[in-house]
Amino acid sequence: MLTACDDEKATQPTSAISIEKNMLEVNESMTIHFVGNADNVVVYPGDSGHDYELRNESNTGLVVNKNLLTYSYTTPGTYKVVCVATNHADEGKSILSDTCSVYIKVIDDCTEIEKISVTALYDEVFAEKLNEMDWLVALPRKIKYKTSTPSVSLSQKVKFYIPSTSTKVYIDGADYNANSKYNLAQTHAVKLVSNEGTSQDYSLYTLNYGEFKTFKAAGVTGKITRTEYDYSYYEINMEVPSGTDLTRLAPDFTLYASNEKVYIDNVEQTSGNVVDFTNPVKYRFVVTSTDNPEISVESTCKVTISCK
Amino acid sequence: MISVMALSGAMITLTGCNDFLDQEVLGNNTDENFYDTKYKLQSALNATYDVLQTDAFQSADWRFGEATADNVIGTDEGLASDQGQLVHFRFTTSNRWIKERWEINYKGIHRANQVIANIDRCRLSTNDYAAYREIREILGQAKFLRALYYFNLVKTFGGVPIRPEVEEVSKLVVPRSSLADTYAYIEKDLREAIIMLPNRYTSAQSGKASAGAAAALLMKVLMYQARPGDGSEKWQQLAEIGEYFVKGKSMQMKDMLCYPERYKDTDWESIRKRLWFKPQELNVGTDPYETPETECPVLLNAYSLRYLSAYNAPITYDQQFYLDGEFCQGSIFEIVFKESGDGTTDDVNEGSNIYSRLFSRDSDIFADDQIINNIYGSDIRRSFTIGHHQFTPDMENTDIGAGRILSLKWYTPIKDRPVYTDDNGKNRRILRYADVVLMYAEALNEIGKGAEALEQLNSNKSVVNQINNSSTLYIGGGYGYLRDQIWKEREIEFAFEWDRFFDIVRQGRAKQVLTTFANLHSNKRGLYFREGVNEVFPIPQTEVDLSNGVVTQNPGY
Repeated sequence: MLTACDDEKATQPTSAISIEKNMLEVNESMTIHFVGNADNVVVYPGDSGHDYELRNESNTGLVVNKNLLTYSYTTPGTYKVVCVATNHADEGKSILSDTCSVYIKVIDDCTEIEKISVTALYDEVFAEKLNEMDWLVALPRKIKYKTSTPSVSLSQKVKFYIPSTSTKVYIDGADYNANSKYNLAQTHAVKLVSNEGTSQDYSLYTLNYGEFKTFKAAGVTGKITRTEYDYSYYEINMEVPSGTDLTRLAPDFTLYASNEKVYIDNVEQTSGNVVDFTNPVKYRFVVTSTDNPEISVESTCKVTISCK
Repeated sequence: MISVMALSGAMITLTGCNDFLDQEVLGNNTDENFYDTKYKLQSALNATYDVLQTDAFQSADWRFGEATADNVIGTDEGLASDQGQLVHFRFTTSNRWIKERWEINYKGIHRANQVIANIDRCRLSTNDYAAYREIREILGQAKFLRALYYFNLVKTFGGVPIRPEVEEVSKLVVPRSSLADTYAYIEKDLREAIIMLPNRYTSAQSGKASAGAAAALLMKVLMYQARPGDGSEKWQQLAEIGEYFVKGKSMQMKDMLCYPERYKDTDWESIRKRLWFKPQELNVGTDPYETPETECPVLLNAYSLRYLSAYNAPITYDQQFYLDGEFCQGSIFEIVFKESGDGTTDDVNEGSNIYSRLFSRDSDIFADDQIINNIYGSDIRRSFTIGHHQFTPDMENTDIGAGRILSLKWYTPIKDRPVYTDDNGKNRRILRYADVVLMYAEALNEIGKGAEALEQLNSNKSVVNQINNSSTLYIGGGYGYLRDQIWKEREIEFAFEWDRFFDIVRQGRAKQVLTTFANLHSNKRGLYFREGVNEVFPIPQTEVDLSNGVVTQNPGY
């Protein structure tokens, strides 16, 4: 009996693993099933810190429990997954092991934009995603800040929120720089190129909200009041000399650009049109991109005129 | 003859033996007969609260909510330990702390389920309305606690298995519910708890979870389901609860429960009976009858932003976190710690993490000058942090190590110190009224009500300004500017309260914040945070293993 015990030898283990796919995306989970036969199973996924070839240089494997291990890769590349199956007996004096390996390719083809924003003085203004290609930034010409109304420049830094860190961004063919200011007066062609080489084109449009450059009624000049919370809404509150017929006023106004149009309800207004100001009137501005007539932005100005 | 006698003798012996074994042991409590009085239900509820006091619960909270984020440096950030791997986001799915957080919260859930599943075993000795209300309040608190434990799990792991209220040995493996289903389950518990509980418990009842606590937690649960700028209806719902809580807008029970939409085919009376409102047929005399149109408890003015103690005496900002400020007007829910009364010195179940571990020379986590400057700037609340060899409010010379800065929120004044070293002399604040106001402000900004958001934001800041007669207020601006200011105020107000990591995750900027932090530190902690993966932690490997894969792993692990 004792002799038999001393002679005990480990049985030969077999190492075998199955993985559903051999091509993964970054951060995609893979499940490794151990399908061999062994007492102890360790898997080296092959990425930094877990490389089988470097096992004598402090790289480690991951212990497999219940024949199941899930893992994911953080960076794209090709990895050699090595599975080491071991049996031992006789208090570790007899050890037999077997290895097998599989190659896994991890790709990163992300060309998706989550968010785009630009800074308007102190505010982060987010672009609106219009469709799969077009993004629109709507900026005010001026912002109310405490008691002043500083102008907002169209030359601003642009910030991209992209899920993958290895994706490259190009603006008008040149490398995107997070610290440079871009002239938003023009439409920019944005190109995203993934680590895998796939690319996607986007257009970044910028429009200013429409507003009156000047507004005059019955010889009195109106002044725009802004709110700090909503850039697409303004008010003009003015008093005209007593005795003025409010039902038939013909305000003279100018706009900033030729792509701005102004409406009351759905009727387009031009300077000198007769309007009934008994009740406050809401002017609606529509500014259309000169590069793409389908892209436009709306704003509102509520004009209240009363007699002194 | 002899053999027959021997046989019958043996038979008699056997019979006697059987009878003896078959005797029912009288007087033993079993889960079948235990929960029949309100006292026994109360002790089961106490056991549910008890989990909050465990070291494991505190430890899981600071390790995940604070040590992984950008307001502290850890003593143990080496990659050799489970803690170091956790905070570097270089852990395996077998990490000890991940498993402990999972287990301690499920322990709480199991105990809450014991109360909820057995509540109907209770027999009342009177037909008084008050007797029903007592049971209802026990049930309501158990629902609040269950929601709190599930919320801890869902914000850490994503959708989790919803345990059945009555566990069966043959059905111990429960698959994970979706994120939306888990949140819906939590929301239902909280909305029901709000209508079942009084607005606030005071004096001898202080410490019990009230309707205020349930509403505050509900707001947080709604906020965590929405994302900044996503236009989600959760922001709208959050603003409605905020209006009810802060502005005193009346809210009917049916609006709180979303009845009947969320209660297919269940009539009002069945809901009432399940929640231990006195059944209609037993109502007599002046007993109130709650209809769907009955108003929810009034929360307006139940809590306050001002620094006032439970007895409305003025206290200082830091006293809000000491014994003087327990159940103060700004505190909605706290974990109640009490010194052991039995004279034992080795009871480690009473929050020693808070008392002796964090505010000490070898604190697990601490801040430094750069962090403090980054959080507070010139805000007066930075004066409630303390450095090495500076004097505490009760003139104690601190000895915490050169260069280290700790928060006075972790400090226990000398007069509040427990007799036994492993105890804790003060309660831990979990939900504060300032949080309610700032969540309301954030929701208002998200639904395009910037001016009202600013009013709420400044309501907290103007109370802070009274500390040093400052007049600095936040300034109106566009959506992005207001949002950034609200987040800044949250960071300052709730700094070192162990919630920072979850806050930056739900704001969707954990990667950005942690990368900035990592680049300022030589060990680059935070740089390994993977966007889209590390917002939730992995399900503990043992759960995946024991369920043979029925409990699935989170993506990216």
